Amino acid sequence: MLISLLVLSGAFQNANTQSLTGKEIIDKTYNRPTGEDQESDLKMTLINSAGDTRIREIKQFTKDMGEVEKSIMFFISPADVRNTSFMNWSYDDDRADDQWIYLPALNKVKRISSDSKSDYFMGSDFTYDDLGDRKLEEDTHELLREENINGKACYVVQSIPVDKDYMYAKTITWLEKETFIGVKKEFYDEDGDLLKILSIKEYNNIDGFDIITFSEMKNIQKDHRTEMKLSKIKINTGVSDLKFSERMMTRGL
Amino acid sequence: MNNKVFLTIMLLLFLKGLSAQNIDIRGYARTYEGILTETGNLAIAQQTLDLSFEKMGNKSAFKVNPVIYLYDVDSLNLKLRELYMDFFFKRFDLRIGKQQVVWGKADGVFITDIVSPLDLREFLLPDFYEIRRGIIASKLNYYTGNSTIELIWVPVFTPNEWPQPGSIWYIEPAFPVKPEFNYSRSDITAGIKNSEVFLKYASLGPKIDFELMGAYTWDDNPSLFTIKEFDTLGGHPALNKLEIFPEYNRLVVGGGSFSTEIKGVILRGEGAYYYGKYFQTTDALADGSLTEKDYLHYLIGADFSIGDVKLSSQVIQETILDYDDPILRKQNITTMTFLAQYDLFRETLHLELFTYLGITNEDALIRPKITYDLDDGFSVLVGANVFTGNTDGRFGQYKDNSMIYTKLKYSF
Repeated sequence: MLISLLVLSGAFQNANTQSLTGKEIIDKTYNRPTGEDQESDLKMTLINSAGDTRIREIKQFTKDMGEVEKSIMFFISPADVRNTSFMNWSYDDDRADDQWIYLPALNKVKRISSDSKSDYFMGSDFTYDDLGDRKLEEDTHELLREENINGKACYVVQSIPVDKDYMYAKTITWLEKETFIGVKKEFYDEDGDLLKILSIKEYNNIDGFDIITFSEMKNIQKDHRTEMKLSKIKINTGVSDLKFSERMMTRGL
Repeated sequence: MNNKVFLTIMLLLFLKGLSAQNIDIRGYARTYEGILTETGNLAIAQQTLDLSFEKMGNKSAFKVNPVIYLYDVDSLNLKLRELYMDFFFKRFDLRIGKQQVVWGKADGVFITDIVSPLDLREFLLPDFYEIRRGIIASKLNYYTGNSTIELIWVPVFTPNEWPQPGSIWYIEPAFPVKPEFNYSRSDITAGIKNSEVFLKYASLGPKIDFELMGAYTWDDNPSLFTIKEFDTLGGHPALNKLEIFPEYNRLVVGGGSFSTEIKGVILRGEGAYYYGKYFQTTDALADGSLTEKDYLHYLIGADFSIGDVKLSSQVIQETILDYDDPILRKQNITTMTFLAQYDLFRETLHLELFTYLGITNEDALIRPKITYDLDDGFSVLVGANVFTGNTDGRFGQYKDNSMIYTKLKYSF
């Protein structure tokens, strides 16, 4: 899991996009080229209804190794979680992810369950699933309409989870027709009420890849939000396979 | 000027100098107070400054971790929890100096995790990174694929540290007559002959993580070699003198641990076979009232979630093999641990309940706590340690030490 809002991002596409189905549109977004490896700095700002802020900073690396995509995150701040690291191995087939966490206070690497994707990440408004690349077949996708948003033509696609117990009853995504980048996404809770809205504030083309660099997730029901900014993004720099190991989790940055 | 205060000031000045060289300075300040529920007496009044100075390079690194404890008003205690140098190579790392080593998959239980001895002066109450004592060691890690081979050489034996008379955690041993302690046998001279060696093979990969370990070590707890003198006045022998020699014995340990995920549940196991551990016995023919037996220590545990509540439980068993009735300790001791954690308000309020449950001895240590993160790095903790059950048990013996406590901590 590299935190880059993969679910909403897409490369510039030249394919004939007329009369695409909802599933085909989402498939193009999910299967965008992202490079062999990436590294970046992530800064999350958690803002409550009173405007108070908390900062979370992370250094992250990811690498596509064919059948498995490996990622590792090093927590930089706040101070009480500094040097904590998290590693995820995600497989192309149906295997569950392997995940580990290194807690400096315990001084050991612990395997943790990958069955917690509905948990919120570091107290933010993003769940682990919001940040990861959800599999196409986990939802049924329907093209609702086409409309302009921020002056750009977009597809509006509704995705309903196959798993009826999933934390969202449905999501609705606005994807730019030209780039297949999602610029807005609404999340509806189990009762069908609007829970959160994700807005993309900025994306940039880096080394030929579209990367969302500034986004905001707002919890409508609880009136708090999280801003997420990516910086120092490097793509295809040849991150070593050895980076994704227990050795590096414990050594840190 | 008090020597400790002088040393502390010198250390701080030295470390201030280090900070000018782009050395990463981290740590925390903490104030920790506890009150006994039975008497209302202050049981803990501890102020802590924990500093960590680290420099990480591509080929080498170092860490210094001095900790200053202030007990009561002016009882200052300075210690270096760790001080080591790292050297990084392509396939292996070397760490030399005072360091803490953690092995195994168990939480809060020490089975294969026997490299670093324990500071038990406050029983099992401190956080686990504070319970472990640093050891003077050289540690070599060789990496191949997802596997690691770890070899540790410890030339200086460091035993467990126990509460001393005057501490609320000190339990006076029960003897029929007042014993005389003779510590002449408890010194282990540092050097090659008395060194300890630990070896571990660890694999972390798809589906399962596991470790296999072996150790040629010292038992971190002393055995009490006892010499008895009897009076035979009146025709009946009567014990009139006990001389006790605390001594450390060699121990050979082999074991392993694993951790895997099955349908969202993390299943963990750990076990170790201790060859030749000494136990106290009432057998009149036993030399020094000690008998040597093999001993098995193992557990099985699971981590899982119900809704947003994270749960973890472990069942631990200790067994003395080839048991003889005169051995003072029970042949089998079964203990359970139980942990529940729940976070609220965007992970700013943390509720936790941790319990040791003595199945054999019918006693328990129950540890509820609430932590609130006032700000990034600044937390307030309120908790309780409740000792209950059979007063012969490991936890029930501290029935009078149940307490409520608070910790204010600022991390930087």
